Amino acid sequence: MNAPSARFCAPGLSVLIPALFVILTPRNSEAIPAFSRQYHTSCQTCHIVFPKLNDFGKAFKDAGFKFPKDDETYLKVPAVMLGAPAQKDVFPKSVWPGEIPGLPPIGLRMSTFFQVTGGKRNRFNALSAPAAPQFIPATDFETGFFSIFTAGNFGSDISFWVDDDISVAGQNASGGLGDAYLRFGNIGRFAKLPTDSLNFKVGQFELDLPFTQARTYNLSPYDIYSEANIGAINSMGAQQNVANQFAFAGAAKGIEVSGGHNYGGYHYSLAVFDQNTSGVSQTSNTSPYLPSATGGSSGGVGFASDSSTKDIYARLSYRFNLERDPASRSSMQAAGATGPHDHTYLNVGTFYLHGNSRQAVPGLTLAGDNTLLVAHEPFYRAGGDFGFNFRALNVFGLYMYGRDKNLLPVDSTGNAILLPLAATPLPTSFLGSFPAVFHGGFVEADYMVLPWIMAIARWDGVHSSADRINGLALTTGIPFFAATQSARNRFTPGVQFLIHPNIKASFEYQLRPQQSVTSVTDPVTGVQKLQNPFRVNTALFGLEFVY
Amino acid sequence: MRQKRFVLLASAALFASAISYGGTLSGTVSGGHGAAAVYIDTIPGKTFPAPAKNPVVDQKSLLFQPHVTVVQQGSTVEFLNSDNVAHNIFWPAISGNKKMTHNLGTWPKGEKRPFKFDTPGIVPLLCNVHPEMSAFVIVSPTPYFAEADASGAYKIENVPDGAYTVVAWREGSKPVSSPVKVAGNTTADLKVAK
Repeated sequence: MNAPSARFCAPGLSVLIPALFVILTPRNSEAIPAFSRQYHTSCQTCHIVFPKLNDFGKAFKDAGFKFPKDDETYLKVPAVMLGAPAQKDVFPKSVWPGEIPGLPPIGLRMSTFFQVTGGKRNRFNALSAPAAPQFIPATDFETGFFSIFTAGNFGSDISFWVDDDISVAGQNASGGLGDAYLRFGNIGRFAKLPTDSLNFKVGQFELDLPFTQARTYNLSPYDIYSEANIGAINSMGAQQNVANQFAFAGAAKGIEVSGGHNYGGYHYSLAVFDQNTSGVSQTSNTSPYLPSATGGSSGGVGFASDSSTKDIYARLSYRFNLERDPASRSSMQAAGATGPHDHTYLNVGTFYLHGNSRQAVPGLTLAGDNTLLVAHEPFYRAGGDFGFNFRALNVFGLYMYGRDKNLLPVDSTGNAILLPLAATPLPTSFLGSFPAVFHGGFVEADYMVLPWIMAIARWDGVHSSADRINGLALTTGIPFFAATQSARNRFTPGVQFLIHPNIKASFEYQLRPQQSVTSVTDPVTGVQKLQNPFRVNTALFGLEFVY
Repeated sequence: MRQKRFVLLASAALFASAISYGGTLSGTVSGGHGAAAVYIDTIPGKTFPAPAKNPVVDQKSLLFQPHVTVVQQGSTVEFLNSDNVAHNIFWPAISGNKKMTHNLGTWPKGEKRPFKFDTPGIVPLLCNVHPEMSAFVIVSPTPYFAEADASGAYKIENVPDGAYTVVAWREGSKPVSSPVKVAGNTTADLKVAK
């Protein structure tokens, strides 16, 4: 259930609305009641406050959605055998037997929200057409998500996950497929590698982010995960011919190998996935002349990539469990005088993503003939993360740096062409210029006041001078949504209550960065200055249940 | 002389059998649903030695097994973890007395942890990592107790004749006490209420 990334890349109401949607709409989260049914166990066997996983939940996921040892002894609903185990003896003259869960492992989730938006929320309309200005209400009851998710394993360490938002905001089919993959666990055993050292996943999935966005328990998303590097296209600043829609919040289509554990010791992953920096959807990227997998020889549904190259994402982390007792350190959960619990741990990790953004624009050859010019702009995202847990306190954070190569279009005389490109002049080639960069991250502290109350404090920060420069396009008189400074900082305190293990009430207050609607030219200095900058802080209440 | 000795021995045996093999108290526990147990409450002036055999409560497949264990006061119960996952055992109270709360901690698979129950009452067992796990130890102050079957029927054997207070407990209901006169085989139906 990864929301496609979006971000303000150009001024105008058409940008404002989706930007507000992305920023204000709570993200998805899942707990898996299907597992509760299969094992007759509580959500809290795997979750702290759903869908936040505890150490056992991490081990359960690492093992391919099953108990790491003797899974069958815990199943209260036995799996259905798709062939007798003895069929293995006949292989390859028989189909290798498998199994399916005894109950369809289906979980459903519904959420609803109430939002209070700051008093200056309608300043966005200051410059919009008076005929039909958009009105943002002070308070609002909002329908959230109705989602289905199913996950489990087919025996033999083959597991699966599929989730889909059946409806979003009350609109059927407004959602879409989130993660949908098949995972072959522990395939390293064929090469006599250590247990769980090599797994293989294929399908659509969230990248192995240090802290999940697709299954976050926070109401609002991590800002840095939604950051796409659009580059500065306003002529007021150094121009950047970068239009990279990739953001970490989006789902990847590809393959991933991984190994290790998330509850202790090392963990790694390496994913190779489709590149789609233009943001074109698979259903739009069709051809009547070429076949694609989901259609016939006359086109099909379409292609998911917009480039022949693939993106690569790698992550490596190590978690130091800090118990003195070696047996406790290496266990899924730490032993304690009053019972097992999550480890006291320090987790450190790093991640790196490399891609090659493709931009194709109409251009001219040096001879003056029309042609398609293609710029390949390598980009990377790199960062580090940490997590620390001590009893009821969990602190974690992430820093990311993003950089895109910036190839500016130039005309036949070698002069850069002002962006955005118009019908004329047409470029003949590209020239390297200053890269488009951004950086930022977040730090969050969760404290379990009681087993059913979690207090949250989070800081998000994104620094992007390109965002700032793009925002200054408001001199055209069109309202926009942008921070008044290159750094957008947000502080979000919140609290979550478990009414029952499967029913949760959440609240967060978003202290949002200062924004502006317009700017004017200072008559004294002649420099642009912001006019009436303001904040639109938001109080958000959420109620969700899974069953 | 030999005949006298025989009569004496026979009389002693008869007397002993009367003590050891008294009557049977049986009946039905009605009201509510779930597991039930019945025991004879404290008998003034009587004490009973703790049994030598220790009952075992297992944690297996995310379940306490058995779900209900009735023991005599002073018994030592051994708590076993047969699962590959970590468990815990604690009870928040004994017969509602929260001062009697106790946490046994956690221990690895295959190991047992003993606990001697010196206080009679209802001990609800919980696991603080698997909230759905639940079981009960019913600590009877006398050796006269029984667990009821699914229909609620119970049978306590070897109860000496006399006047007693019988306590009936059923999961989810409050225990009820009832005076009972046992004379040979005696029937006492007991009703619990929420």
